[in-house]
Amino acid sequence: MKIKLTVNKKIHEVQIDPGEMLLDVLRRLGYKSVRRSCDSASCGNCTVLLEGKPILSCITFAASVDNCSIETVEGLSEKEELHPIQEAILEAGGSQCGYCISGLTLTIKSFLAENPDPDDKEIKKALVGNLCRCTGYESQIKAVRLAAEKLRDEKR
Amino acid sequence: MLLNVKAYHKPRSIDEAFNIWSDHKDEAVLIAGGTNVALMKSHIPKHLIDLKSLALNDVKEKGNKIVVGAMIDIESFRKNQIIRKNFGDFFFKSFDDIASPQLRNMITIGGSVAAKVGWSDVTTCLLATESRLMTFGINGYQNINITEFNHLPRDKKPIITHIILNKEDFIYGFRRFTKSAFDISMVNVGIALKIESDIVKRSRFVIGSRPQMPDRFSDVEEGIENLKLDDNLPNIARNLVFEHFTGGSNYLASVEYRRHLASVLTERILTELGGV
Repeated sequence: MKIKLTVNKKIHEVQIDPGEMLLDVLRRLGYKSVRRSCDSASCGNCTVLLEGKPILSCITFAASVDNCSIETVEGLSEKEELHPIQEAILEAGGSQCGYCISGLTLTIKSFLAENPDPDDKEIKKALVGNLCRCTGYESQIKAVRLAAEKLRDEKR
Repeated sequence: MLLNVKAYHKPRSIDEAFNIWSDHKDEAVLIAGGTNVALMKSHIPKHLIDLKSLALNDVKEKGNKIVVGAMIDIESFRKNQIIRKNFGDFFFKSFDDIASPQLRNMITIGGSVAAKVGWSDVTTCLLATESRLMTFGINGYQNINITEFNHLPRDKKPIITHIILNKEDFIYGFRRFTKSAFDISMVNVGIALKIESDIVKRSRFVIGSRPQMPDRFSDVEEGIENLKLDDNLPNIARNLVFEHFTGGSNYLASVEYRRHLASVLTERILTELGGV
């Protein structure tokens, strides 16, 4: 079957298998920032934004998102410049091996759009679905605070 | 990927969905949020029937009821203004403790009930509010309670179209216990109390993930009827839950551990509800 997907504002018409997951389709289309890890809804590495909301692409049927808008990390940077959230992760040391960072970045983007000035408790709750085996989370929590600050500054 | 899927159906009406399902009963699976089906990784389904195309995701007030489309995701449901106005922080906070933000955007309220899994926190909360289900099956639309739905054999299982909540002057509490933040519950407890002049006039005690389906515990409900909501009540209810708990053991916890957990969670909910 054929579906139409808008990924990072670019329209794709793609042939899929009816039982195929969004993760596989996105990677086939070249969006390699979308990572396969647990493949069982446990780690958050495959997180993408579906109509602005974070979802797990490893358990989302591609056929179910026909005509929908998807955002991946590739869509964040403009003209080689990092997005403020990516800058914040870099500055705070929130990325070590980097494998979980794509999913984490998108979760943070959606979270800060809804809650631009969160406290630590809210940040911890927001990141509960993104596992990181390297950082111990402290630097990622710091990164969210810093990203929030940067995004607020940008709006001023 | 589910390897043997031949067709992904997007019905435009509930009749069409039910007909496709009936035509391919043994090889078809209904999809609400899709999380359970995707995780099955089964080779059996050949037909997937996506109910999201039915647009059953609104929340409406109808007299003293609130009618909720079964396909609403639990994140939208918990944040819905009508739900917040009528249930305060109950669903807002309870569902915030379930799974992760990603999963809450995917899991639907109807799908959580339809899956008939013992660990469903959503089912426990809905039973505490005595919600009912609007279903569509071989006899058309029917209004049935959740326990009745849970006991229907698979071949008689209808499609859940709406959840019907009552507007009522109860106070509610919910707690769950898990090994990690977004693991399934080892045990969960939902409580509803109708209080008049500090006296418990009616109550609902629901315990789920026992690991059997969530169910009400009438011995506990009767045991606290007409008692005062004071600092003795949490302890009395805790002992009643300990005495009357029924459940089992599985890889998550033993029945003894669940019994202790359920009684402690009961005590904590009532302490919070009573402000003691």
